[in-house]
Amino acid sequence: MLWELIQAGLLALWDYIALHVLTCLIPAFLLAGAMVTFVSKETIIYYLGTAAQKLKAFALAAGGSFFVAACSCTVIPVSSGLYYAGASIGAAFIVLWVAPAANILALTYTGAILGGTMALTRIIAALVMAFLVGWVMTAVFRREEQTRVQPVAAPSNPGDAPTHLMGRSDVILLILLVISLLAPNYLVQKGPYWAKVLVWGIATIIVFGYAFWVKPIEELKRWMGETWWFVRLIFPLLLAGVFVVGVIGKLLPEEWVRSALGGSSLSASFLATLIGSVSYFATMTEAPFVDTLMKLGMGPGPALALLLTGPGLSLPNWLAIARVFGVKKALVYVVTIIVLGTLVGWLAGNFIF
Amino acid sequence: MKIEILGSGCPKCFETERRVQKVVQELGLQAEVVHVYDMMEIARRRVMFTPAIAIDGEVKLSGHVPSEEEIKALLKK
Repeated sequence: MLWELIQAGLLALWDYIALHVLTCLIPAFLLAGAMVTFVSKETIIYYLGTAAQKLKAFALAAGGSFFVAACSCTVIPVSSGLYYAGASIGAAFIVLWVAPAANILALTYTGAILGGTMALTRIIAALVMAFLVGWVMTAVFRREEQTRVQPVAAPSNPGDAPTHLMGRSDVILLILLVISLLAPNYLVQKGPYWAKVLVWGIATIIVFGYAFWVKPIEELKRWMGETWWFVRLIFPLLLAGVFVVGVIGKLLPEEWVRSALGGSSLSASFLATLIGSVSYFATMTEAPFVDTLMKLGMGPGPALALLLTGPGLSLPNWLAIARVFGVKKALVYVVTIIVLGTLVGWLAGNFIF
Repeated sequence: MKIEILGSGCPKCFETERRVQKVVQELGLQAEVVHVYDMMEIARRRVMFTPAIAIDGEVKLSGHVPSEEEIKALLKK
C-alpha cells in the first residue's frame, strides 16, 4: 500500500518533470528573475504611497501589484510598509491580495498549464476581488482611518524620488519572455512533445539574443542570479507539491473528488476556497496542483477559487497579517476573501465555464 | 559597529546573514551582527523589500541579496 502510494507520487513527479520543466518552468523562472531585476519595485511603491485619491490609489495598487511577483510571505512587509508610510488601508490590502494571487508570472504560468480561459478569468476575478476587498477594508475601518496619526513622511528629497520604472528594452525583454513561456504551449497544443521543445528553443534563442544585444553583462549576471534564487526557492516546493498531489490522487477515490469538488455548486466552491485559504502554496505551485485535481474531477469554478486563494492566503500568512495589522483587520480580511472566493468560484462555474 | 539583517525568515535573508558574517570575519571587524525577524520592527524601519541591511540603525540596503563585494563596500564606509 505504502509502496503503491510512493509509486504514484513518483509517477506524477516524472510526468511533471518530463512535460513541464523545459517548456514551462525554465521560461517561468527566467521571467520571474527578469521581473525582479528589470522592473523597479521601488518606483511602483513610491507612486502608490503618494496617490491621494482613493480610486486612483486602488487602481494603482491593483495594477502595480501585477508586476511584483511575490509569494504571500514576501508581500507582507511591502503592504505593511505602504500602510505605515501613509497609504490607505484599502490600497495596502489590495497589494496584499493581488501580488500573490494575480501577478503576471502566476498568470502566464496558469495560462501555460490550464489554458487561456482560466488565466483570463483568474485576472478578472482577482481584480474584482481586489476592489471589493479594498472597499470592505475602507468601509469597516473608516473611523480608524480618519483618526490614524499620519506618520512623519520619510525624508524625501525631490531628487530622491524614483522616476524610472523600466526602460523600453526591459519592456521588450519581458514581453519576449512571456511569449517564450506561452508559445510552446499554445502553438503546439496537440503536436508531439519535440515540436514544443523546438518552439521553446527558438523562442529562448531570441530572448537571449536580444538580451545580449541590449543589456550590459553586469545586469545579465544579476538577472541570472535572481533566476537562480527562484529556482532554489520554488523548484523544491513545486516538486514536493506535485509528489503530494500524486499521492493524494491515489489516496482519494475519484468519485470522492467529483462529489466534493466537482460541478459548480456553492459547497464545492466553498470547500475549494477553504483548502486554498488555509494551505500554503508558493507562487506557481498552485497551477499543477489544480491541474491534477481537475483531472480527478474538480469543476472549473472551484478550481478558480482554489487558484485564487491558494497563493493569496495561507494559515502562516493569516498569523503574519494579524501580527502586523492587528487581529481585527486580519479577521475582516480573511473572512472577506473566503466569502468572495466562494462567490467568485460559484459565479464563474455557473456563468463563465 | 552594529549590523542588523532585517528579514522575515526567508532563505534569502539567511543567505544575506551568512554573507555578512563571512565578510565581517574576513575584514576582521568588531561588529555585532543581529537578525531582526519582527515584522512590526521591520515596518517601523520603513523597509518594504527584505532582505535589508542596517548599519548602526541606518538602513543601507534593501531588496536583494548583496554580493560580498557590495557588503564590503557598505562596511568600509
